Amino acid sequence: MQSVSRILILLLAGIAALMARDPTGRLFVTNEGDDTVSVIDAKTGDLVRAIDVGGRPRGIGFSPDRTRVYVALGDENAIAVIDTATLAILEKVPAGSDPEAFAVHPNGHIYLSNEDEGEASVLNPENGEILAQIKVGIEPEGVAIGPDGTRVYVTSESTSMVHVISVPEHEVVANILVGARPREIAFSEDGKYGYVTCEVGGEVVKWDLATNKIVQRKKLRREIRLVKPKGIRRGPDGKSFFIATGRGDVVAVLDAETLDLQATIPVGRRVWGMAFSRDGKTLYVTNGLDNNMSVIDVDARKETNKIAVGDMPWGVIFDD
Amino acid sequence: MCLKASLTVAQRTNGTAIVGILEGGLARIRPVTFARTISLALLLTAALSAAEVKIVYVGPPLRDNSSGKGALLGLEEAQLQGAFLGLAYSLAAAELTDLAALHGADAILVAGTPGRVLAVAEAVSEQGVPVFNIAATQDGLRTSCAPNLLHTIPSDAMLATAVAQWKQNSDAGSVVAQAWHEDFVKFAARDLNKRFQESRGTDMDDQSWAAWAAVRIVADAAANLPVGTTAERLAYIRFEMEFDGQKGGYMTFRDTGQLRQPLLVVVDGKLAGEAPVRGVAASDDLDSLDPLVCAAR
Repeated sequence: MQSVSRILILLLAGIAALMARDPTGRLFVTNEGDDTVSVIDAKTGDLVRAIDVGGRPRGIGFSPDRTRVYVALGDENAIAVIDTATLAILEKVPAGSDPEAFAVHPNGHIYLSNEDEGEASVLNPENGEILAQIKVGIEPEGVAIGPDGTRVYVTSESTSMVHVISVPEHEVVANILVGARPREIAFSEDGKYGYVTCEVGGEVVKWDLATNKIVQRKKLRREIRLVKPKGIRRGPDGKSFFIATGRGDVVAVLDAETLDLQATIPVGRRVWGMAFSRDGKTLYVTNGLDNNMSVIDVDARKETNKIAVGDMPWGVIFDD
Repeated sequence: MCLKASLTVAQRTNGTAIVGILEGGLARIRPVTFARTISLALLLTAALSAAEVKIVYVGPPLRDNSSGKGALLGLEEAQLQGAFLGLAYSLAAAELTDLAALHGADAILVAGTPGRVLAVAEAVSEQGVPVFNIAATQDGLRTSCAPNLLHTIPSDAMLATAVAQWKQNSDAGSVVAQAWHEDFVKFAARDLNKRFQESRGTDMDDQSWAAWAAVRIVADAAANLPVGTTAERLAYIRFEMEFDGQKGGYMTFRDTGQLRQPLLVVVDGKLAGEAPVRGVAASDDLDSLDPLVCAAR
């Protein structure tokens, strides 16, 4: 019952957010190599602005109402808060040591990994309060808010685990040993399964969210040379997952049910961050070693364009 | 619900606490789930009896040298992972001459001469205890192919091959190959260098990396086979494991017991690149660095 009401609250919050403002139609890309955020007009592919955001920007995400862009600044131990419309840097909120990746809960709190400290932190960006610091494994990385908002999942790269954290208690309630160097997490459309990319293991591991047991794993090395799975997003049809394969230099499309490889889409070198358009027709991925971003026609499963961004692009989000 | 709650706690605490909590929880469990809970408790107890992984380190004093410091960082990291899984690790130091101290070990690290490494491997070969050579680079140790002997430190032949690959591509001066370098930042090397420097107060070198890697490999095997026997874990290490040595790709063992790994090339004292050297060999062709095979027996 509690989770039903939670879902309702999340839905209402989502609807309120959608009604609040018109999207800017801009892509925001963090560039780890030159400390900027590239703001791109998605329609023209033109650079609107390169924001000098600060030291080592990697993780990037919107506030629930999308009026703010958050950027993790690893070398500044802070989260930069950018106004989505004016592109002004409003503030830099201290976020503990070396924040890398994060996820924004529908309640507005930022769940982030502090890579150096082996911790996940919960930050209220409104007042800068750190609500909790949770011990996890070594080199925590990917953070994902579970489908009903009562669980947050954090990977620890050098401990090969997914840690399950309860909300709002902020306790580690389970640990799942997965493949080597787990990076990012996505969930099935029905909210029953989690999928985690394992960079060094070269695989995607699927687990049951109710039991926290692994149900399937898919090694991609045989099909994709030099594969290092990093980014993962559920496809717009809900039946597939799109994987950024790092030096595999392709986006892999896996069947959500069987994990069979359905397609590989050649893109640039060291493909990393990913963002779908709201209509699900376009996928944008960053190519870390090419300083650009590939535009993919999702239905055709083909790259249609490349857009220049900054140095060593990492993450991308789309305000559409 | 009660069962679930008990398990939840179990995953977060040490062995003794798990059993206590499960027993404490039994009184509140409905009869239908009782049997299942009991068997689960027994299963957990059985797992726990094998839950301490005993690693013996044979070599110079643990705290005063590169190998020992690497082993200690590896131990701390293994313990951190183990705490999430109900696994504990211990690291006991033994003298190079004290073979009796090896009794009961789940894995052994040796930083010593080839003769000493072979003697240790032989002493525990019947039980299939993995022995890690973490310091000796001599090729002969690899070609002898003792079934329970593994090498995380690269061989002389590998180091020479890496240098030769580099020289094929440039007229560089003083070229040296290494397993590790304190200035290496690519992949997650920066993180490992930072952890070592902060916890041990000195730079990580080849010997400390090899010792760290050996302990982490033992932990990988134990985590994936928590109730496995020593021999099963050795087989896992040799044939299944894909180790994340924080040098980029995954690492596996060759038939010789040598850990496949990229090497770092240092030119005139400065980190210059990695081997396999681009343009000479494919970056994932780790075997291009290792010409050694098992001697015919």
